[in-house]
Amino acid sequence: MEKTIEKLKVLADAAKYDVSCASSGVNRSNKNKKGLGNASAAGICHTWTSDGRCVSLLKILMSNDCIYDCAYCINRVSNDVKRESFTPEEIARLTIEFYRRNYIEGLFLSSAVFKNPDNTMEQIYKAVELIRNKYGFNGYIHVKAIPNAEISIIRKTGFLVDRLSMNIELPTQSGLKLLAPQKSMKSLLEPMGDIGKRIIYNKEEKKKFKNSGDFVPGGQSTQMIVGATKDTDLSLLSASQKLYDNFNLKRVYYSAYIPVVDKPNLPSIYSAPPLQREHRLYQADWLMRFYYFRSEELLDSANQNFDLEFDPKICWAMRNIHEFPKEVNRISYEELLRIPGIGPVSARRIIRQRRLAPVTYDGLKKIGVVLKRAKFFILCSGKYHGGINIDPDLIRYKLGDMEKSRQLSFW
Amino acid sequence: MIIMDYIYDGTFYGLLTCVYEHYYSRKASGIYEEKNYQYSIINEFKIIDTNDEKAVRVYNSLKEKVSKKALEYIYYSWLSNEVDKGCNILNFIEYGFSVKKDVTRHFEHEAVYPICVIYRKVAQEVHSFLGLLRFSDIDGVLVAVYKPDHDITELLAPHFADRLGCERFIIYDERRKKGAVSSMGEWIMSQMEELEVKTGTVESEIRRYWKEYFENVSIKERKNREIQYQKVPVRYRKNIVEFK
Repeated sequence: MEKTIEKLKVLADAAKYDVSCASSGVNRSNKNKKGLGNASAAGICHTWTSDGRCVSLLKILMSNDCIYDCAYCINRVSNDVKRESFTPEEIARLTIEFYRRNYIEGLFLSSAVFKNPDNTMEQIYKAVELIRNKYGFNGYIHVKAIPNAEISIIRKTGFLVDRLSMNIELPTQSGLKLLAPQKSMKSLLEPMGDIGKRIIYNKEEKKKFKNSGDFVPGGQSTQMIVGATKDTDLSLLSASQKLYDNFNLKRVYYSAYIPVVDKPNLPSIYSAPPLQREHRLYQADWLMRFYYFRSEELLDSANQNFDLEFDPKICWAMRNIHEFPKEVNRISYEELLRIPGIGPVSARRIIRQRRLAPVTYDGLKKIGVVLKRAKFFILCSGKYHGGINIDPDLIRYKLGDMEKSRQLSFW
Repeated sequence: MIIMDYIYDGTFYGLLTCVYEHYYSRKASGIYEEKNYQYSIINEFKIIDTNDEKAVRVYNSLKEKVSKKALEYIYYSWLSNEVDKGCNILNFIEYGFSVKKDVTRHFEHEAVYPICVIYRKVAQEVHSFLGLLRFSDIDGVLVAVYKPDHDITELLAPHFADRLGCERFIIYDERRKKGAVSSMGEWIMSQMEELEVKTGTVESEIRRYWKEYFENVSIKERKNREIQYQKVPVRYRKNIVEFK
């Protein structure tokens, strides 16, 4: 027992910087009620740690005994940390016991590269195989594909798991060369392309053959580090856009770089993680996936980084102020989504509501629109409720004012 | 007009019987649960005996004339802990029968908005307990004890009956002293006065693993207790292993 606790300490700690915790997107019922577990499409969070991040999956490394030497990583071979490894059986038991008690929604298994990439991927496959076939587990499993591993092992793993991901970490080849010399853009993008193609191929196949298994039904995701190199938000965001367009990715995660080591190529160990920047990138990512924005609309060569004070949607609206105000009772769903303070839920509600009667200004509040932002950009049955001229500077002043008064402190 | 309050025994059919009487005998000014009712000398009141036949008639006509969704909203509201839920439900039903179509989307209407708010509260609590409920393995039976604000045990049970199809489990509501008992994917509701939970060695071993994991997966540089308090309110924490 003490041994397992020691391993948990080291390997949970080492896995904590991987962000993806999503368990959503797959709906699988417990077949014949004989096995253990199902997957819920909405995703369920099981607890929240003291950093405010939700815990949905048992996020853990198989091993932290790495042969690579990526500068940003605490597990790199040249760093002096305690090394531990789980066996596939240990991983399986922990997953099943935690899952039965409703601690977790599934497993997120990653690993440092030990011995060689093929061996690592094979061990991950074994753990997943045990959980699925020996324990009859139907819950959610997400594994990391290991760069440079044999593609056939990655493929057979794909038939057992819900999501596969491979971390790009840095959006440019030059960044990789500087900080992760053993990885190359090619070794990352090739398997990602292969997985992406197979997902589409599998969908087609399933239409024809009933018995073809699910290949990565939860889709593929990746992660990029924010603030380890000099890369701008523009290069991060356009990399994401390319991944969504060409590789059929479900999600891109962003992780604010937390300095774990002092190296000349990296930010100083005393610098704070760029949390606000990460937050803005996530907001922009949402705009791309659910609000029909393109990365080139949000940032361009004149504005390479996001304004840290205002969210990307407000900034976009300020730059395109000539399009506003818009009449909420007339414009399309896509146009509604572009108004700051209106999201997919409230946009859908507005559309449903106005079939019966025009939406009123007070009604917007009940619908769930954030009026303190939206009021500057909308007309309601022809009336403007903003109270000031539609001028970017004035609006910025008003919004900023609110922001400041909310943070008023007595000290 | 003399004010007339209807009082029901707290069951769903009791509530629907009041609605029946509201239409077929005398208009009600409000519907209240027996145990919450404030008696006063100004208001007249009448205790309504639950009548299954009348209730089923209201149930069916709600389903046909208004919508299934509306019925779900009413049921969720009845499960809630709100004191004036009866009056809100009555207003909602009156409006629903007058419009005769699915009114759950008329967010702006004063009879619908309160019900939407209550519905969201209950649904929200159900969703958070899908994650926050904690089972303990007691001699092969999984036992979860919790204390929700609203009476949501029967809404949680189907999810876990599917998920833990190969297990036997009990979900016990401390506040209302009742629980769902399940085996082989089937479940029933049952009254239980007390439930004693004794943890064995394997159980405490797994709990220690989980606590250890929970401590170590948090990033100290990004401390944010506010969200933690928001998502896991203190009143729930008594029954959650990692916060004990």
